[in-house]
Amino acid sequence: MIKKSYATEIEDILSRYPTKRSAVLPLMHLAQQEYGYMSDEAKREVAEILDLDPTHILSIAGFYTLYYEEPVGRYVLEVCNDLACALRGADDFLDMVLGKLDVDLHGTTDDGLFTVKNVMCIGACDRAPVLQCNLKFHEHLDEAKFDALVDQWRSDSAEQTSIVDQIIAGRTE
Amino acid sequence: MSDLVSINVDGVDIEVPAGTTVVDAAMRADIQIPVFCHHPKLEPVGMCRMCLVRIGMPVRDRATGELLKEPDGSVQYNWGRTLQTGCTVRVAPGMHVVTNSAEAKDARDDIIEFLLTSHPLDCPICDKGGECPLQNLTMAHGGGTSRFNFNDKLTNDKSVPLGELIYLDRERCIQCARCTRFQSEIADDPVIAFHNRGRHLEIVTMSDPGFDSYWSGNTTDICPVGALTTADFRFGARPWELTPAATLSPHDAAGENITVSTRREAKSGGRVVVKRIMPRQNEWVNEIWISDRTRFVHHFAEAADRLKMPLVRKNGQLTPTTWDEALTLVAEKLAATGEQAAGLAGDRLSNEDLFMFQKLFRKALNKNNNIDLANKRLAGGDVTADVGIASGSNLGDLGKGDTIVVIATDLHEEVPIWWLRVKQASERGARLIVLNVRETRLDKHASFVMHYAPGQAIAVAGNLLEHDEEVATAVRDADNLVIFYGYEGLSYDETDALARTLGNLLLETEHVGRPNNGLIAVWPRNNTQGVWDMAVHPGLTPGYRADRNPGLDANAIYAGAESGDITALYIVGADPVGDGLMPGRGALDFMVVQELFLTETAQLADVVLPAQSWLERDGTFTNGERRVQRYNPAIQKVGDSRPDWQILAQVIEKITEGSEKTPFAASLVFSKEIAKSVRAYKDMDYRTLGQVVEQFPKVGGDDLYYGGTSYANEAGIGQQWSASAESKKPKKPFDVPELDVTRPAGLVLLRVAALYTPGTLNQYSELLHARMAKPTVMLHYADADQLGIADGMSLVLRVNGTELPATASIQDGVPSGVALLRGFAWRKGLESAEIVKVQTPITA
Repeated sequence: MIKKSYATEIEDILSRYPTKRSAVLPLMHLAQQEYGYMSDEAKREVAEILDLDPTHILSIAGFYTLYYEEPVGRYVLEVCNDLACALRGADDFLDMVLGKLDVDLHGTTDDGLFTVKNVMCIGACDRAPVLQCNLKFHEHLDEAKFDALVDQWRSDSAEQTSIVDQIIAGRTE
Repeated sequence: MSDLVSINVDGVDIEVPAGTTVVDAAMRADIQIPVFCHHPKLEPVGMCRMCLVRIGMPVRDRATGELLKEPDGSVQYNWGRTLQTGCTVRVAPGMHVVTNSAEAKDARDDIIEFLLTSHPLDCPICDKGGECPLQNLTMAHGGGTSRFNFNDKLTNDKSVPLGELIYLDRERCIQCARCTRFQSEIADDPVIAFHNRGRHLEIVTMSDPGFDSYWSGNTTDICPVGALTTADFRFGARPWELTPAATLSPHDAAGENITVSTRREAKSGGRVVVKRIMPRQNEWVNEIWISDRTRFVHHFAEAADRLKMPLVRKNGQLTPTTWDEALTLVAEKLAATGEQAAGLAGDRLSNEDLFMFQKLFRKALNKNNNIDLANKRLAGGDVTADVGIASGSNLGDLGKGDTIVVIATDLHEEVPIWWLRVKQASERGARLIVLNVRETRLDKHASFVMHYAPGQAIAVAGNLLEHDEEVATAVRDADNLVIFYGYEGLSYDETDALARTLGNLLLETEHVGRPNNGLIAVWPRNNTQGVWDMAVHPGLTPGYRADRNPGLDANAIYAGAESGDITALYIVGADPVGDGLMPGRGALDFMVVQELFLTETAQLADVVLPAQSWLERDGTFTNGERRVQRYNPAIQKVGDSRPDWQILAQVIEKITEGSEKTPFAASLVFSKEIAKSVRAYKDMDYRTLGQVVEQFPKVGGDDLYYGGTSYANEAGIGQQWSASAESKKPKKPFDVPELDVTRPAGLVLLRVAALYTPGTLNQYSELLHARMAKPTVMLHYADADQLGIADGMSLVLRVNGTELPATASIQDGVPSGVALLRGFAWRKGLESAEIVKVQTPITA
């Protein structure tokens, strides 16, 4: 129950908006961080806090790609392979990532650590190949850099970004 | 009305109210701009781009404000750089619109080509095929070929249940959002929404049960393709095979206008059967909407256990017999009984039935006045006859400056279309005052809400001008004042005092006798008003004239049947035994029941006469706004049943030995008898009730893409009869009887209405079984603690020896000291039941 475990954070978020329903996106991020993805339970909890019908939350989760409606790995790697990035080798980079992690596109590794997705433009074309891991950007990537990142993630030494902390701090990337 | 604006569409000058959109304006000149997403009852969104037109505005000199002229002297127009969507642009003075240029046609052709990139064109198996806006507009605008690759079409699920009532075909959806906008803007149940984006967009629901709304069926009417269909009609028939019949909802006091579509089919043994029910436009009553109960609860009429033959008790057994034998027996027995005969009628019957019923007693049985409504819950018909909402009223006209008071009723559960229209009036700016013991759905839209203690309704109504300055002003100074009152938590006598108190409030604030002002009784049934008008009442004769020798009322008749003072009882369309009003036959010598089903009452009768349901016959109902409306037969008679009025007239004919002949048709009962006896109906007959007027928005014609598939009203909008305050000077105040309204100490039990309450009619519609209100006792947590009742606990209500199972529910909204009983059919003594905890092992 995020209502109980994040009571102060929720109150803080709600206090920033003139109407309750406006807080729907940050609260969904919060719920997703708690549950790993927007499960039905998470949707219903957010709906209850905001006095909305859960259908409304379902609709928003379906509209925005950063809300996951299926379980995902601990690290969600989103590689942009839109045209500009592809011209800078993003397609090859993505194939390399899939091969290294031995996972299908949009699939999750057997250890539950990584989900790899391709995305359309995350606004960093000049720094491609680029991937976004749990909302943090990693730019100018190549195989060596990626290996190093994977080692960090695997050893759990990577810097973790908490969306909730970001929201509370008033900055979201 | 609002100011008129002159515009020109395709060379035709028209005047339309300011604020009208170009599409709606053109429709008034019979120029049809094709639309998909636009619906005249919804806010414009401009999503589908089908209504592209060229719009020009006269150019003015910025310095002088003068109109600029072309060299030839004509007005100069700025035609803009692109085509614009006619559904989002509102009319402005001097506007010129071109809808039929090659440019506009090309644009529409392209839009259709885009819409068809992912539409399956499976018209041959689609329920909408034959009355489909997309099909029609494709014929008008679609090319024979497409520039898109057929193999790029998305294939998708074709049968996604959005709950048990409505199915979604994802391939067919053209993403117009009519359904989601209807649910949030009109029904205020935003339980369906878009999911995903672009070509992958689909309609989803997450409510429990799915698509949890009393209005869900309306989305299938306004859906411009076959994406949304009802489980009731899905794959049931092709639209062109259907025969429409104009009739009325038999379920509540609003009298929603409907069209029943039937088909004669082999799989039903060659019978004409009901395939679907759809709204019929009546902007004064239900606009183009109907509740799901009206749409889906019709199966009882065709139920297998309908009574098909007259039954007469022989050797203790009800045995099939001929009409002649049964009627002769009834006539002989009644004639022989004379003053000790009595009659009880139900309030589902038509005016014709009710008139014949009172005629049987008053005329054939020699001024016997022992007749009454069998199940009396709400009084005040005599008050609404004086100060009821005036003729010429339309709830749709109420808005800013007006006030609506709703007391002791839950409109959303009892008469949903009134809830909808009151809610919309409040959205237009009317002040809404909601008074009840507990929270109701309407509270959300009210500007003033008061939850009074049980029994305090009369006191609250009497002090409305003293209680709160803002409320007093809203009531006293309202341009128009409409008051709805019901019977929730009140005894019959209390509702009588309440009606009189409210009548006095209307008289005192001078809100009587003019349109959009007056009292509306939220009657429990579709024709309770007709029971008053036809004077099925021991102390009134038709036309609200007091009778000098009043007969026995319902309570006295029940007591008389028990004691033997009444020896013969004629019951029509009522089940007093099932309702707990009558313990059994008592000391009756003879009992006749005229019914659709072998009810608990009918099982005890000596003669059972099979009546026709409203679908098999014609007649008139009078709604709570005193609008008399006609309904027409849709299906053939079931078995050898007869209309109630005819059976009664045949009994009269036998008793009077032929001096009172049975009328040939219901229309003659109305024109030759009712119109002559009931003063308020004197200017009415089936022809005047069948008159139609032009209604806006225009729906149901060959322009059905515009308003959806609801039916145009070609069978009459009915006539609202004049309350006496409209013609007479305001009369002196009503006498309000002094009543002791104190409730016994302890928990007060209070039955609250639910739209889908298990009952005789609802139970035959299996489709709704999952949505039936479960019998529930709702408690405040403090009361539950005191009683040792936990949430979800099994309970039993003991009512006069009957045990009714129920479940406890502890809820925030329940006032303390009150137990709300939901999901129980009305039953005498329910509110004085004993609540007993059931000790059952807890199962997972």
